[in-house]
Amino acid sequence: MKQLTHFLEGFGSAVQLLFQSARYVGTLPRQRARFIDQCYVIGYTTLPIVAILCFFMGSVLALQSGYSMENFGAKQFIGSLVGLSFARELGPVIVAILVAGRVGSAITAELASMKVYQEVDALVTMNIPPARILVLPRLAAVLVMMPVLAIIGNLIGWFGGAVVCKYVESIAIEPEAYFSALRRYMKFQDVGTGLMKAEIFGFVVVLICCSIGLNTRGGPREIGASVTKAVVVSLISILVLDYFVTKALM
Amino acid sequence: MNTAQQTARVGLFFLLGLALTWVTWETLSDGKLFKQTGYSLIAGFDNLKELKQGDEVRMAGVKIGSVERTRLAGRRAEAVLRIDPGIKIASDATATIVMAGLIGTNYIGLDLGTPGAPVLSDGAELRTKITPDINAIMTELGNLGQKLEGALGSITTTVSGDGKNPGLFQKLDRLVSDNSTKIDTTMTNLAAATDKINKGEGTLGKLLNDSKLHDELVATVSEIKVAAIDAKSFVADAQALVSQVKSGKGTLGALIFDESAGNDLKIVTRNLRDISNRIAKGEGTLGKLLTDDSLYLSAQSTLKKADRAIDSLGDSGPITAVGAAANVLF
Repeated sequence: MKQLTHFLEGFGSAVQLLFQSARYVGTLPRQRARFIDQCYVIGYTTLPIVAILCFFMGSVLALQSGYSMENFGAKQFIGSLVGLSFARELGPVIVAILVAGRVGSAITAELASMKVYQEVDALVTMNIPPARILVLPRLAAVLVMMPVLAIIGNLIGWFGGAVVCKYVESIAIEPEAYFSALRRYMKFQDVGTGLMKAEIFGFVVVLICCSIGLNTRGGPREIGASVTKAVVVSLISILVLDYFVTKALM
Repeated sequence: MNTAQQTARVGLFFLLGLALTWVTWETLSDGKLFKQTGYSLIAGFDNLKELKQGDEVRMAGVKIGSVERTRLAGRRAEAVLRIDPGIKIASDATATIVMAGLIGTNYIGLDLGTPGAPVLSDGAELRTKITPDINAIMTELGNLGQKLEGALGSITTTVSGDGKNPGLFQKLDRLVSDNSTKIDTTMTNLAAATDKINKGEGTLGKLLNDSKLHDELVATVSEIKVAAIDAKSFVADAQALVSQVKSGKGTLGALIFDESAGNDLKIVTRNLRDISNRIAKGEGTLGKLLTDDSLYLSAQSTLKKADRAIDSLGDSGPITAVGAAANVLF
């Protein structure tokens, strides 16, 4: 019962924070510096890890599918398999998980510290809503940066698959054939679906991390607990949402 | 890092994302975002099978376009094809839906058509031909399998029997069992006969083993060949003769085929019959000669007189001979 109460309390707090932030959307142009700063942190600094992870995920996917599909002579369809998997599912989920692990944890740690060290209280005292200057720029930044990260992740993942297909002897498919199969069975709608999913996942992750960070109570030890909680809840939310969003977009 | 640099990086990163999204869109939409190149043709089929938007259009195996969209048009399905610019398609080129793989990969295949035929223009309709798909082939195979099964069942029944009537093998077995003694005897005789033949005994053995007999046989055959050639020549001559006769040449031909000669022959025959009738009746000199013996008797009397005259001539000399002869005769 207590767990359920905590869950509902956290959920309600996140929804409340979302509405509070939405109320200050009009102030976003005046917070340009904060928005750019968050874009830089969420998008630009996350790109290397996204690139590395997506490249190797694409490679592994091509390697595994090549190994399996060789048994029934369907190697020429590896391109479409890797392409569709990455565009519709793996790309958005991997990027969202990386954002949760790298950016979400940092957001929670920062906001939890501000809360523990009463900086948030000082802002409230100065009649500066935390939702306006701490949450809104982050939510806006993640909405802008997630599709960019997702499309780059998709392309790098496809490229990783093409590299494996060309250089692994047991597969040995030329990039032309790989990308031809990818194009033949894919529509931009598949990529668009993935970008939309990445948008939803990123937004939810940042909202959860902000909410948990701002609701941290106690001393410095609670900061670590909040970070852990924020990452765990974000990952669970990503995977649960993935199912429902995928079903809704089919 | 100052704020300007940070802003520039973020801006560049965002632009990179936009550019990549645009490239992806262009690539996956076959560049149809801003322009539509080439011209469209329509191919109508009873069933488009697994054909879908974006599938290739190939002419003689070379990609020349893609399926722009598929639609229902009345009682048939139509595929609207987008053909690359510069590709000319003859009006008698035929489109078929070709199966490229067993897992539902199809494309539209076009043949080259007749050289010099008029070229199809934008919006024209292609000739189409229905080809059996994998389902139809599998159905046919299933029917064939059923027929084979039925045929094999009949053969099995014939060979093994159906429980009531014995099969072919059972009949053979019984035949062999019932006649084993006769078969043994026959085989023994056959072995003895072949043994004799092998030793060169008997006509057949000599024929097989004696080369002299073989040579004679060959010589006989050669003579038969010569005789056949002569017979052939004879037949040819006979045919020539018959043809001559048929054409009315020669006596026989005239006799058989000339109507006037036939009539003459009839007249001659009739005359001969009249003459013989008259002779039989004793008419005329020849008839009397044959039927009346008075002439014979007078001639005999005359000859006797002449004989006597000649005898008297011998006795009285030549002068009296003339007188005697005149006396006898007159």
